Amino acid sequence: MAKETRIELLQGTLDMLILRTLLFGPAHGHQIAKHIQRTSDDLLQVEHGSLYPALHRLEGKDWIAGKWESAGKGSTREFKYYRLTALGKKQLVTEESKWRQLTGAIARIMWPAKEG
Amino acid sequence: MFWRRKQREQDLERELRSHLEEEAAEQRESGVPEDEAKYVARRALGNVGLIAEDVREVWGWMWLERVLQDLRYGLRALRKDIAFAALSVFALALGIGATTVIFSVIDNVLLEPFPYRDSQRLTKFYIRDLAHPDQTGRADYTMAEYRAFKEQNRVFDDIIATANFDVLYTAAAGAKQFRAYQTTANTFDFIGVAPLLGRAMIADDGRPDAPPVAVMSYRAWQQEFGGDPGIIGRSLTLNGRPTTLIAIMPPRFALYNGDFWLPLTTETPDTRVSTMGRLKHGLRLQAARTDLELIARRLATVYPNEYPSNFSVTAVSLVDRVVRRFRPLLYALMAAVGMLLLIACSNVANLLLARATAREHEIAVRASLGASRSRLIVQLLIESFLLALFGCAAGCLLAYAGIRGIVAVMPRDLIPNESVIVLNPRVLLFALGMAVVTTLLCGLAPALHAVGRNLHDRIKTVGKGTASGSGHRGLRTAFVVAQVALSIVLLVGAGLLMRSLIALQSVDLGFSPDHVVATAIPFAPGRYDTAEQKRIFFRAVLQKVAALPGVVAVSEASALPPFGGPRSEVTVPGVAHAQGLRASMQLCSEDYFRTLGIRLLRGRLLTETDIDSARKVIVVNQALASRFFGDADPIGRSIKFDAFDKAPESPRDAYFEVVGVVADVRNNGLQSPPQPEAFLPFTISGALGRGILVRTATEPNSMLSSIRREIWAVDPNVAPSMGTTLVTALEQESYSQPRFALIILGTFASIGLLLAAIGIFSVMAYSVSLRTHEIGIRMALGAQRAGLLKMVLAKGFMMIAAGIVIGELASFGLTRLLRNQIWGVSSYDPAVLGGVVAVLVLVGLAACIVPARRATHVDPMMAVRYE
Repeated sequence: MAKETRIELLQGTLDMLILRTLLFGPAHGHQIAKHIQRTSDDLLQVEHGSLYPALHRLEGKDWIAGKWESAGKGSTREFKYYRLTALGKKQLVTEESKWRQLTGAIARIMWPAKEG
Repeated sequence: MFWRRKQREQDLERELRSHLEEEAAEQRESGVPEDEAKYVARRALGNVGLIAEDVREVWGWMWLERVLQDLRYGLRALRKDIAFAALSVFALALGIGATTVIFSVIDNVLLEPFPYRDSQRLTKFYIRDLAHPDQTGRADYTMAEYRAFKEQNRVFDDIIATANFDVLYTAAAGAKQFRAYQTTANTFDFIGVAPLLGRAMIADDGRPDAPPVAVMSYRAWQQEFGGDPGIIGRSLTLNGRPTTLIAIMPPRFALYNGDFWLPLTTETPDTRVSTMGRLKHGLRLQAARTDLELIARRLATVYPNEYPSNFSVTAVSLVDRVVRRFRPLLYALMAAVGMLLLIACSNVANLLLARATAREHEIAVRASLGASRSRLIVQLLIESFLLALFGCAAGCLLAYAGIRGIVAVMPRDLIPNESVIVLNPRVLLFALGMAVVTTLLCGLAPALHAVGRNLHDRIKTVGKGTASGSGHRGLRTAFVVAQVALSIVLLVGAGLLMRSLIALQSVDLGFSPDHVVATAIPFAPGRYDTAEQKRIFFRAVLQKVAALPGVVAVSEASALPPFGGPRSEVTVPGVAHAQGLRASMQLCSEDYFRTLGIRLLRGRLLTETDIDSARKVIVVNQALASRFFGDADPIGRSIKFDAFDKAPESPRDAYFEVVGVVADVRNNGLQSPPQPEAFLPFTISGALGRGILVRTATEPNSMLSSIRREIWAVDPNVAPSMGTTLVTALEQESYSQPRFALIILGTFASIGLLLAAIGIFSVMAYSVSLRTHEIGIRMALGAQRAGLLKMVLAKGFMMIAAGIVIGELASFGLTRLLRNQIWGVSSYDPAVLGGVVAVLVLVGLAACIVPARRATHVDPMMAVRYE
């Protein structure tokens, strides 16, 4: 996995990916980053410098809610787990449909023949 | 939000640290050595400080975004419920407007009444005779004393001296008298007010050989010269002397209420001046007192005649001195208006509570969608703040009108001439501050209440309609009780003021003020100085005025009733402990008693011969006779007035024989019992102010100008005052402040009552609407309309009664604020306390009637089906 093959995230898509990730259940920052990285086969590299500001922005909009909880049975370590709110779920649906329209439109421009 | 910044900072740091640890642990698991793992983790995360910085920025924007969002949301919510918004804004506007009006009076009258530089530090000082601690003391000094104070003090930046120097301005049109002063040449620099036109007085103008110059007030400039700017540099004849006019002062300048100020050039060490110093920055009055007393003690050894044997020096600020009569009233009004604001706030709080109940569903939904508690509280507070802002804007408009109203009824002589009551930036800032305060006062409780209950409860009750809001009911009742209690306090205050004014107006003066005209006749220095000159002048005037048709009697007088003349210490042979006895001296002519309608009790009155030959005989009042002589016969006794020994043109060491005793009349204001007073032939002395009193058969105001014409017929170069009727003078002097207090407090009490009535009405209407279902069932089960009416009214009555009891108890304590304004009536006056209760019960029950009637018109079928 050479560095050159990694793709920087498009502006605005990180929010959507975070929301999507949290659809599976609560997760802390590190888990969210790893999850995005792994499910994209390490293609998408989450810049930690933008992950945390994004998390707090989403929290501020009440789309996600953060809470300190212990890592699991027996563990004494605590993480700030983020969970999707009802408002966040609604937002994810909106973002998803917007994204679908956007990628479709871009695809039609880039490869018109294939589409036709 | 922002107040939890610290907590959030710690959270963020903890969050980033846990991320680092997790990453390091992962690296270790994949085989990276221990110390390298940490390094790799740190590199993967990047610059922690920078991330934290970015997150903080997000917080900042978030906050602003939320506020904007909340503002938009709040505006939308208010627009949806326009009746609620209008009522709340109306109540807040009344509260904030009234508070702003009173604050602007306090600001302009108490805090910044003078346009002078550092006016709060201007200080006057008095030599106070400790034998007469009730008196302010001597404030006039000889020039020699002034020099000593000026040179030796270490507490003042500078001291000025001012001498009365009324001027007679002679122009082609006729002579006119102006109030004027000679002042030391440093005065204008001291005062720090630049002239509107021309140049200020400078040190050179004060030299004895300097050409005569004068500074004129804006008022005189407008009235006499029509505001002609070309007047500067012209020569005016003042007291017969050509004087160059060097400056016109701005409108808001009237030092000692003068119209002309001339340099003090003609003084001798004996010239009497009043002084004023500017306290050095940071010094207290006490320091001035100590320092000045040191100087005064030295002066007392040089001029023993000027100083009582036992004295102290008091120093008071000019502001204090001028507004001391008015200040307690203003503070009392501030307290009253504070209560009014509380009534308005609790009214709005009640409306907000009702609204919060109606919006429970919305709030529950927002909470379940993930809005945090604090977010909801801020949202609700922002809505209240919007209301308060609109209320503040409307309140400022009301205040703008209210200030005009209050100025119109304000007794002018109680406030400095130069204080201008306007909405200045400080006042507007105050109003804005009030908006914030009211937001918290009326918004916090409902907001906390609305989001206080847990979500589960709320979702359960939402949509059921009947039980919802029951938790608010106690709070709402408490608010109404508070409103009733506060209105009671205001009404009791207004009632006591009304009773005081009535008591004041029904004081038996002892003489009849109707149909009496008073005209003061001030003389320019150098004219009519001696007793003989005054005798000739007044004889002619009295004869001419007496000959006017419609004149019943006319007399010379040296003081305007109900105030006696200047008080003097007396020496009474044969009376032990005569020391400390004082009497006022009224210089008058033989018809004085007939003019005022004063009854003779014993002996005889003054005769024309007594007057014309300036015989040393006096008539005394009953108070003097019994105070000085007890039961003994005062006729034939003699009294010496010590004041004459020092006064100019007066008999030295003169004993006067008592020839008659007259009934007491009020001579120390309306509120004090009559003081010992002696009536002396005016021809005795050339000192003291003079004027004439005229009793007319016709409407007295119509006589004013013909009286002046007769005076001018005797000498066109004297300048009699416009003249006034005693009734008008009494009104200005004695009734205007109590009336002012009554009008203002009465207005506040009425507004308070109106708001409380609205409060009662809204709570009753609301509780009836909540109980529609219950009432329907009761009716279905056979309850009678009358019974239901009684049930609802009883609930309203309980609320009102609770408020009345609390309010009456509170008013016992709070009317103490008014104790300086209340006169002739007890603070526990049963008529006032009872009357107020009656008013509130009536108004309160009237406010209950409509909701109660609505309860009886509930359709049982509809009400039951509603469920």
